[in-house]
Amino acid sequence: MASNLFIVIVGCGRLGAYLANRLSRAGHGIVVVDYRMEAFDNLSSDYSGFRVEGDAAELAVLKQAKVDKADLLIATTRDDNINLMVAQAAKAEFGVPRVLARVFEPRREDVYRRLGVETVCPTSVAAELFLKSVCQENES
Amino acid sequence: MNVLIVGGGKAVYFLCRTFLAKGHQVTLINRDPDECVQMARRLKLTVIRGDGSDPAILEEVGVQAADAVLAVTPNDQDNLAVCQLATTQYGVPRALALVNDPDNEKVFRKLGVAAFSTARTIASLIEQRTDLDEITNLIPVGEGKVNITEVRLQPTAPVVGKTLRDLALPADSLIAVVLRQGEALVPRGDTQLHAGDQLVLITLPGNHGPVLRAITGENR
Amino acid sequence: MEAKPVLIVDDEKNIRLTLSQALEALDLETDTAVNGEEALVRLAKKSFGLVLLDLKMPGMDGMEVLRRLRQTRPDIKVIIITAHGTIDSAVEAMKLGAVDFIQKPFAPKEIRELVTKVLNRDEIAADKARHYDEHVELAKKHINRREFDVAQEHVRQALAVDSTKPEAFNLLGALIEIRGDRLEALKQYRAALALDPSYEPAAQNVQRLVVRQQEGGQISFGKKQRPGEERR
Repeated sequence: MASNLFIVIVGCGRLGAYLANRLSRAGHGIVVVDYRMEAFDNLSSDYSGFRVEGDAAELAVLKQAKVDKADLLIATTRDDNINLMVAQAAKAEFGVPRVLARVFEPRREDVYRRLGVETVCPTSVAAELFLKSVCQENES
Repeated sequence: MNVLIVGGGKAVYFLCRTFLAKGHQVTLINRDPDECVQMARRLKLTVIRGDGSDPAILEEVGVQAADAVLAVTPNDQDNLAVCQLATTQYGVPRALALVNDPDNEKVFRKLGVAAFSTARTIASLIEQRTDLDEITNLIPVGEGKVNITEVRLQPTAPVVGKTLRDLALPADSLIAVVLRQGEALVPRGDTQLHAGDQLVLITLPGNHGPVLRAITGENR
Repeated sequence: MEAKPVLIVDDEKNIRLTLSQALEALDLETDTAVNGEEALVRLAKKSFGLVLLDLKMPGMDGMEVLRRLRQTRPDIKVIIITAHGTIDSAVEAMKLGAVDFIQKPFAPKEIRELVTKVLNRDEIAADKARHYDEHVELAKKHINRREFDVAQEHVRQALAVDSTKPEAFNLLGALIEIRGDRLEALKQYRAALALDPSYEPAAQNVQRLVVRQQEGGQISFGKKQRPGEERR
């Protein structure tokens, strides 16, 4: 991974905060967006990035977060639809080269892959890992 | 037409009623159980309680058979998801999303989803300072690049008595239809305008104000 | 590039970290101060070439630091860091020679570009300046030194070169506003906006004068995007 990327992370829940802390520690410039002030408490004390309080579903908030300067955007809110809209807006409107979206509902993955959005589906990932573990256990 | 509508609230009730009155089949997906019961009671449509952006729910209502999908929830992200699923996954020929944040209108269009912003439309209605009595049905169509307006000519309108050829209308505007005493005329250069005529105007957002002023003579 | 060190003054640790990290890449030595008092102490002890100053800090605020700084080091360059949507007394700041602002959040690239531009202003030869951008930069350099008449002259020259760009009109408005003529300033901001409705700094200035009735407000000077470095 290139050093010193400018990354916007939408959603400061457990996943968003975790990514923000790790990526910030790795030396990248980070902006975290969340509409709840309390969410920023999830950030570690040595988090060196910015915080923007606002609803990422509003284009103006994405502009405020300087998404137009981002090398990468990661959408990690709890709402699949917000993640997908933000990811697509980032690409289509702001030209962000790479966007990632967390999507909980496996049945949405297909459509969005076809629309050019890179998704990570925790449900599918967990299912695969569980199955793998179960099969291994059965074999041994 | 088979119309699938996702959303709730009073406006949606009237939207459903409008489509039903025109003879279309309407299916409604709504999240609120009470509202679902109300809608089912008052209107002759199929109501499903659920999340319209959930592929499972869409399949349950038979979205593949829909001719058009309207996503009119208060959340732009849900409306986008409904329309994208409907067209990309299920091949529905027409999908229209309501956008609450007017900034999202152009984004949705870039993503290939027809979008409509009430905030922008109402604001432009006010800003154009049009007299709402004489001028109705301001609809932005053609992806917001074209306005279609209906204007009734008062006797005092400067264009009364003139032929279309004589009018000095701004460029890129068109009087598409003249409605006169129940008849619709497609006007030509020699068509003369009378008081009481209803004109259907096609304008671009940029020249809309000037065209209306030229026709109605109003300067507010 | 200047070898003199840069002083970063901000009460928020993350900003101090972001800025030091960003400037590391420019091979610039940086020192930090967590508040106004510490900033003044450091400024007295060492010779800095540039100060990155947050206006809103607890205790002695940035404007006071700027005021005191001007008494002892009139030539030092300053970049003001502001938060989104805050109304700071920009007329005040510009009177004290601060014409470069950056709004949080910002990408490391943005601050690096701005610092480079500010530090390189001295390199522009006034007598050889031909292009629009050079005159705009020279105008800013003279605002830094509170030589407002010279600054205005460069703005006029910029306009003579190219009267279709918004930057010079916006700067002219700012200079006029400093002199106290808000009505005339508003005309220039509006002219800038008419030329380019998407030019944020002018839009902010118009909004500030028209919408907000209270005294003060941030004059937005904008930053130039160098061609080839624009995203789209």
